[in-house]
Amino acid sequence: MAEVTNAASSEHDERERGVAELAAYEQLLARAFSSRSPLAVLRAARDDASTPPGLREALAKLDEHGVRISSLIVTRLRFERLLNGSRRAGEWFERDAAGFTAAFKRYQDAVEPKASFAQDEARAFEAWCAREGPSVAH
Amino acid sequence: MSAITVGIALVPHPATLELLGGAIHDLAQHWSLTPETLWRVEESGALVPNGFHAQFRRWREARPRRCVAHGVGFSVGSPTREAARRAAWIERLRDDARVFGFEWITDHLGASRLGGRELTLPLPLLMTDASAAVVRTSLDELRAVAPDVGVENSVFYFHLGDPRDEGAFLRACLREPRSHLLLDVHNVYTTALNAGLDARELFDTLPLERVIEIHLSGGVDSDPRWLPGGATRRLDSHDDAVPEPVWELYERALRGCENLRAVTLERMEQTVEDEADARSVEDELRRARRMLELVRG
Repeated sequence: MAEVTNAASSEHDERERGVAELAAYEQLLARAFSSRSPLAVLRAARDDASTPPGLREALAKLDEHGVRISSLIVTRLRFERLLNGSRRAGEWFERDAAGFTAAFKRYQDAVEPKASFAQDEARAFEAWCAREGPSVAH
Repeated sequence: MSAITVGIALVPHPATLELLGGAIHDLAQHWSLTPETLWRVEESGALVPNGFHAQFRRWREARPRRCVAHGVGFSVGSPTREAARRAAWIERLRDDARVFGFEWITDHLGASRLGGRELTLPLPLLMTDASAAVVRTSLDELRAVAPDVGVENSVFYFHLGDPRDEGAFLRACLREPRSHLLLDVHNVYTTALNAGLDARELFDTLPLERVIEIHLSGGVDSDPRWLPGGATRRLDSHDDAVPEPVWELYERALRGCENLRAVTLERMEQTVEDEADARSVEDELRRARRMLELVRG
């Protein structure tokens, strides 16, 4: 009976560990890939003793170029989503690519990526422009 | 004549659709649709059909065609479910399934949305039991749309663990009945190249008995200016011809995937520039079909 109880308890502990590890994974990747430097965030987690051991192990052999490429693609997909949804953004980019790109970086830093569709990305951008005032009055 | 069909993915881009008219209407035996590219979101948050939805619906009504669904935004590996988002997504998918008669629905392995943040690119999962359970739960939700569901072996540009363990992880994700693998052959090739592995060895680790559909596509190397030291990675960019090593893997897949039901050619919007490009896509469809008939009879 005691053996059965111990086995059940160990299984339960294992499950709990798995759930905690997943929560840490989700927080870490969400934070990393909405930051300017995902690699720095992931490296810091790898070297942090409070990161769950399974996650630290998974981070041990990171393909750093692969993280950089992923980060570029994540950013590019948001950029395209905005251009697809916002006429204002599209016209601004056509007129002044460097100025728009700089503004996009500020937008990216200021507004969490919540939008799945071009239309809601455009609405988030419009709201940000309105908050920013004349500096983005294009 | 094989019951397995060879088809093409429809992309939401008028000029590409026009150039690929011959491939889409005359050669493709089925169409693969990415449901979320057929939607727009209203200010209220409601997901509603967009103009491509209406266009593809008209096409299918005019010339009935087998349709399958292949999404990228459901994010099957997200530990946080975001119940309201998922419910709206499923409701929209169910409506699309009624319109297009999806025979099965697949999405990409990975998490494209984490902690409520939209990252869009499927990112690698921890290859653990808990993570596989999350994927299985997501697939159960997709069963509200079609009884046969599955995931594609995505390209991850980095892994959380050894890429050679992904086959075992996929088996754990797909252990329930009517759970399938969408085998993207170019993704196997790309993953192998980027990780310095042998593509055939990597291919052989996958649960081939679970394969319902094969994807064929091409890609290019990343711009050397993107990475320090001019390094490059092969991209899953769907913007070029299917390379020869992928055709070789395709033949291997035709021999090894006993439960295969469809082969789909993918080409990204705005990467078919002229009639000559369109003809080469048509040739690829013919080649895929010829190889299928040669190998499977």
